[in-house]
Amino acid sequence: MIELYHIWKQYQKPDWALKDITLKVNQGDFCFVTGPSGSGKSTLLKIIFREIFPTHGQILVDGRNILRISDHKIYRQRRAMGIVFQDFRLLFHKRVFDNVALVLQVLGYPRKELRRRVFNALRMVNLNHKMWEYPTQLSYGEQQRVAIARAVVNNPNIILADEPTGNLDTELAFEIMSLFSEINKKGATVIICTHDRELIRHFGKKIVFLYKGKLLREENI
Amino acid sequence: MIAQKLKHFQRETLNNLWQFRARNVFSVTIICLSFLIVGIFVSLSNNLQYTAQQLSQDMAVVFFLAKDISPADQEAIAKELENSPLVQKTQFVSSEQAMEKFLTKFPDLQGVVDNLKMNPFPPSLEVMLREKDLAYEEAQPFIERMNGMKGVEDIQFNKDWVEKMQSLSRLAKAVGFFLGGILILASFFIVSNVIKLNVIARKDEIEILRFVGGTNVFIRIPFLTEGVILGALGGILSLLLLFIVIKLFPVYLGSSLGILNELINFRFLTFSQSFALIFSGAIIGLLGSLSSIAKFLKS
Repeated sequence: MIELYHIWKQYQKPDWALKDITLKVNQGDFCFVTGPSGSGKSTLLKIIFREIFPTHGQILVDGRNILRISDHKIYRQRRAMGIVFQDFRLLFHKRVFDNVALVLQVLGYPRKELRRRVFNALRMVNLNHKMWEYPTQLSYGEQQRVAIARAVVNNPNIILADEPTGNLDTELAFEIMSLFSEINKKGATVIICTHDRELIRHFGKKIVFLYKGKLLREENI
Repeated sequence: MIAQKLKHFQRETLNNLWQFRARNVFSVTIICLSFLIVGIFVSLSNNLQYTAQQLSQDMAVVFFLAKDISPADQEAIAKELENSPLVQKTQFVSSEQAMEKFLTKFPDLQGVVDNLKMNPFPPSLEVMLREKDLAYEEAQPFIERMNGMKGVEDIQFNKDWVEKMQSLSRLAKAVGFFLGGILILASFFIVSNVIKLNVIARKDEIEILRFVGGTNVFIRIPFLTEGVILGALGGILSLLLLFIVIKLFPVYLGSSLGILNELINFRFLTFSQSFALIFSGAIIGLLGSLSSIAKFLKS
């Protein structure tokens, strides 16, 4: 379970990116965070992932206050999370296979098991035939799918995705969402930031509306 | 799991070394040249030390006796020498034998000796001391006592030379460590900066590794190994260069400097010195990369 209590975030005075957000996402939820550009969606994900710290407030993940975990121990928390960044953050000097394998290398997976998992993850996003290519040889949408494969390859408990279908056509976007939905059915908590109302309507179970950093409303479907 | 991680570290280190080969070659060259300077001076010092040892091996004291010494005084001196624990061997050289030795060494000066119409060489006692590395301070009281004996006119002791040689050897070593120390310090900063550039070039990768749950140790190890390899490689290359210098220097110098050739001759480093040099290189590489990655991970 992810619990946020009175989260405030300020990058630069006097503007607030997030204003007093209090939110609970239960284990196994499929949650969409939506709102116009600049409403604080990405900031919220970064805070849950502890890429950045909030200015005020507390966050509990599975009962642990992640703001109190020291820098050299935060890796344990991150191993239980898969994240898809808005800008993908792929390594362009490494092949697609190696980009996805990175997560399993950190965990010390045996080579054979690592190959199997990476192949399966890439097959899920329909990119197994391009695993020996470099990200620069892929289209924008394909790069995004590599980032998704990397986020799900180790079956994390929590998946955070920032606009994961932003550059995909409708058909592929639905495929990707189905993929997240399947992972969610296996018990993982999924939080997705998106503008796409169609996707929200189709897949959404819990919807969080943000506007100018404020939590406008929550809907459980 | 550990084997997989070790394989990963090995692969990453080799990737790093190859990917940034130009600047890695640069840092190896700097380390190599710094250690070469130290190596040259240590080698020179080794030679001076060796010469000092050679000198001390035939360390002798020559007691020049009065020409008109009485047999009783001569016997008293011989007895005193015989009783001393420092003396290994004593040999009496008469005035005639001394002149004979001189003329054998310098036959051209036969005319000068003839013109003197007398034998200028006093009789002497050549005494070999027992301890090879006898300290000057230990031999001094014995020599002073002998000098005070009736019939002893002068004393010649080559311990002075041995000590001068040893001082020179120490000086060479000190100069080597001073100059080398400065260069090694410079090479430390260069390695540190080269690794820092490598770290910056891999900034994105480090960031992603942290996001996917990589520990600081996991991120750090390939860079540290890279530093150690660069340092050790610099040390090994400096030994190879030193070997070439030692082989080529006498050829370049020829025999124009006479006796000085022997003194500035280079002797290769001992096994422990060579090992210490490579080890120091590795340590410098390790410290250089440790400092750069530590700063980066902290930020």
